[in-house]
Amino acid sequence: MTAIRVYDPSMCCNTGVCGADVDQRLVDFAADVRWAQDRGADVERMNLAQQPTAFAENPKVRAFLEEHGEGGLPLILVDGEAAISGRYPDRAELAHLAGIPAPEEVSGSPQAGDGCCGPARDTGCC
Amino acid sequence: MRFLDDAPRYLFFTGKGGVGKTSIACASAIRLAEAGRRVLLVSTDPASNVDQVFGVSIGNRVTPVADVPGLSALEIDPQAAAEAYRDKIVGPVKGVLPDTVVAGIEEQLSGACTTEIAAFDEFTELLTGSDLVKGFDHVVFDTAPTGHTIRLLQLPGAWSGFLEKGQGDASCLGPLAGLEKQKERYRAAVDALASPDATRLVLVARAQSGSLDEVARTHDELAEIGLQRQYLVVNGRMPEAETRGDDLARGILERERAALEAMAPVLQALPRDDIELKPFNLVGLDRLRQLFGTPESATAAVPGDDMAGEDTAQLEAPSLSELVDDIATDGKGLVMLMGKGGVGKTTLAAAVAVSLARRGFPVHLTTSDPAAHLSETLSDEVENLTVSRIDPTVETERYREQVLQSKGKDMNEEDRALLEEDLRSPCTEEIAVFQAFSRVIREAGRKFVVMDTAPTGHTLLLLDATGAYHREIVRQMGDTGTHYTTPMMQLQDPQRTKMLLVTLAETTPVLEARDLQEDLRRAGIEPWAWVVNNSIAAAGAASGLLRDRARAERPQIRAVAEEHAARYAVVPLLRDEPVGAERLLALTEITASQATA
Repeated sequence: MTAIRVYDPSMCCNTGVCGADVDQRLVDFAADVRWAQDRGADVERMNLAQQPTAFAENPKVRAFLEEHGEGGLPLILVDGEAAISGRYPDRAELAHLAGIPAPEEVSGSPQAGDGCCGPARDTGCC
Repeated sequence: MRFLDDAPRYLFFTGKGGVGKTSIACASAIRLAEAGRRVLLVSTDPASNVDQVFGVSIGNRVTPVADVPGLSALEIDPQAAAEAYRDKIVGPVKGVLPDTVVAGIEEQLSGACTTEIAAFDEFTELLTGSDLVKGFDHVVFDTAPTGHTIRLLQLPGAWSGFLEKGQGDASCLGPLAGLEKQKERYRAAVDALASPDATRLVLVARAQSGSLDEVARTHDELAEIGLQRQYLVVNGRMPEAETRGDDLARGILERERAALEAMAPVLQALPRDDIELKPFNLVGLDRLRQLFGTPESATAAVPGDDMAGEDTAQLEAPSLSELVDDIATDGKGLVMLMGKGGVGKTTLAAAVAVSLARRGFPVHLTTSDPAAHLSETLSDEVENLTVSRIDPTVETERYREQVLQSKGKDMNEEDRALLEEDLRSPCTEEIAVFQAFSRVIREAGRKFVVMDTAPTGHTLLLLDATGAYHREIVRQMGDTGTHYTTPMMQLQDPQRTKMLLVTLAETTPVLEARDLQEDLRRAGIEPWAWVVNNSIAAAGAASGLLRDRARAERPQIRAVAEEHAARYAVVPLLRDEPVGAERLLALTEITASQATA
């Protein structure tokens, strides 16, 4: 079984509702992870503010933080190898990474151009 | 004292800082112990000198008070508890992860929620009949958990998600996962709190509308949870006898009566005790015993001799008008008044705005004053002044709706309930209001913008750390690569933003303002000035009682001037409610005729 480990930035919660603006991508990702887990995928999320030791114990994650800082997160490891950084995958991509059947329809919302991967290209996000 | 009749096992006193919770809790504990009960007093007040009061060193362990048979005391420091939690989480990664990353984690764990939950964790043992409280008939707390905390812990989602698996979405419960008590413990503690047979809540207020509104909110919140048996104590009432021949004392009494008549019906219906203003500081057993006594006997037994050596000459202190002179030299900019609830931020913001407008500058006053009675008529009355209002309830509701709509759809019942509760945290309101204010902030490049609220340093750091504002602004400006300033950068620049910390000349409010200042400094913001509001020393009074209170203010004003503030001003307590431009302007001056105390 493919192990997907998601290293989230410090968030008061996985949905980031305490931010100035709710990030729809985070909201959707929380739902996508639940969806994938329900289908047997091995996905775990680590929040920097709550489980920092999980970040410190993994040399790849530690090296990533030294280079990119917290601003570079999230970092997603698939079977221990960096697969995605600076953005969250959508449901179809997550399913592909986890090796489970793709969703019948594409989840909730944002396509490129919306949310995190929108106009903020030069901010280190995406 | 009605609130002590047939007292149940647990007594909680709640109310804003400075209303006298700790003194009343101490006096209650003494009263119960002297009636033959075995009593444990639990203080969480950082300003409490329970040590001093009882003449023994107490600290974080149950300590018998030798002078009062049957009484023991325990001090809990929620800040220290929160810090211990932070160290536990962050300690192992210090020096392993980059310093900036570690600093970011620490900030996440430095909010009011963390302290609140850490305090609750300390309470659980006391509320669940552990060995610690065995043998005590009563446990008296000088504070109470908020409705938000209790509601969170009552939700099934809190248990099945966060606390059992150690992960989940419950933001405000973070610290509990770290503290790792069994969930049965927490549940039993919540049950004890919500049980009317075991627990009595005593709301403590001053006879002022702001203070009474606050306890009315607390009443509703905690009654909803099941804490139905509540009592009201109105502390610090002006004794009728003091008002003969003293206009100021008479004015205060009249304002108190009006506030009590206008208080919420739910408060009117509660059993109530009034405690009169005392001429002395409540330090020492004898004085605490007299707190519940009649004013005559108290005054006779202990005259106001604490400050006998203090000078009684006129208060020499800068007026608010002098601060406004300094602010005016910039010709434009943002002025934010910050402080705990009930210190008079809205009134002082209006006074600063009117004072600037009268000097001929265009001014936009924006307030979150729920009553709006103060600012309503000002813009017609004063040239150059525009007034706008942000309703925190409306803004918070809008924000909540936005979040619930966008994400509630994919959630199951339990998770949704948890999210709804998270959105009732104080942080949510602060963020929603600040978002609304930030629309107005931009005007400060052209004119003066005066606000009666400001975000805490903690909130600013969180907003900045997540980069949400950064992204938001880039989005609004279109991706043109233009140089821009985030609100945080604007607030850090003293040329653009002046932060005024408002406090009262009393121990707890001064300590609370100091904490706010420390919090802002963490975010790289240096408060520009402190303003001491409602000063009797600056008002002048004939009544003996008020003169004693005026003398008691002086060490506090000195502490502000010499230890805390870069610059400061003192605002006199007025005989009449400061409504309308002329009375607001009167706040900005300390006249010789006023300050004759």
